[in-house]
Amino acid sequence: MCNTCGCDHDHQHDSSGTRVVDVNQSLLKTNEEAAARNKQLFDEKGILAINLISSPGSGKTTLLEKTIEALKDQVSMAVLEGDIETDLDAERIRAKGVPAVQLTTGGACHLESALVSAGFHNLEHQLDGRKLDVLFIENVGNLVCPSFFDLGEHRRVVLISVPEGHDKPLKYPKAIRTSQVMVITKADLIPHFDFSVEKMKTDALSLNPSLHIMVTSAKTGEGMEEWFDFLQRHRKE
Amino acid sequence: MRSSSSWTRKRTVHEVSIALAMVDELMRIAAENGAKKITKVSLKIGRLSGIVTDSLVFAFDAIKQEHPLLSSADISIHEIPLIYQCEDCMNRFEAREIHFPSCPACTSVNLKILSGEEQHIENVELEV
Repeated sequence: MCNTCGCDHDHQHDSSGTRVVDVNQSLLKTNEEAAARNKQLFDEKGILAINLISSPGSGKTTLLEKTIEALKDQVSMAVLEGDIETDLDAERIRAKGVPAVQLTTGGACHLESALVSAGFHNLEHQLDGRKLDVLFIENVGNLVCPSFFDLGEHRRVVLISVPEGHDKPLKYPKAIRTSQVMVITKADLIPHFDFSVEKMKTDALSLNPSLHIMVTSAKTGEGMEEWFDFLQRHRKE
Repeated sequence: MRSSSSWTRKRTVHEVSIALAMVDELMRIAAENGAKKITKVSLKIGRLSGIVTDSLVFAFDAIKQEHPLLSSADISIHEIPLIYQCEDCMNRFEAREIHFPSCPACTSVNLKILSGEEQHIENVELEV
């Protein structure tokens, strides 16, 4: 305890009325605390929460549409759709018969835990007591900021599409380092691009040796079974 | 990284997101301590954090003008190197690059990060 002012903090006083407070906390403490509360809530409800991050247009919504088509009868799913503006993506998900809440950030280039929490409560009203197995949180299209903001997810999945190029892992190391899964999308386009799956895998693993990498095409179905198996294996019992 | 063929523009965007979150934390710390003003903020930023420190300061200096409590706050940054410990030979070493890390003594890739992931507010100087 501080003897000068009697507060609980450890700090020094000087004669000019300034003092130094040792805080030693994360720059993103508020978000991290909210993320921990989200995760606890998902755990209590037996929900597997997945945070999908990628550049705009890598195919996050398309991957979700195909996932819903394939697993709708076996797995109870819902989606929180992050975008800067519009609810076009939430509409695409609802059209597949799965509850979706649009989270519009009004300019921010990433989701934060407080917004996810608000969206999840809204989603629960739509679910009306139905058990949820998997919650997908589709982040705003951006490979940088979302990698700084934990949302309370169990798995972070980064998507990189073939047209973006195999150099992306080294260019966006934080996205690769903080994810557990990397899904290479639009693999049907590989013959049309100078794209090396091996190079991309090697680079990604150099940043994150335990990264689970999948090569998929939502168009042809290539690799989609592996993604579906992954979801089935990790959903809570 | 700077060479004749590459030039790093030290004004990246994502530090604005970090600076905005930092402003919220500082406002909370100021309120908790009954501060009239924050005059100094010391940060620890690790090599692996992905934060470009010049950009963070640039973003913070722009944003702080909107907050009388923070408008005279100076930032000092303690940059933390990326230090690994080799789990095979226990050698400790600093890595300059963040990809392809391996132990310079025994070439093992079985490594533990000892420092470099920090993105912390160390302490804050307040006027009360």
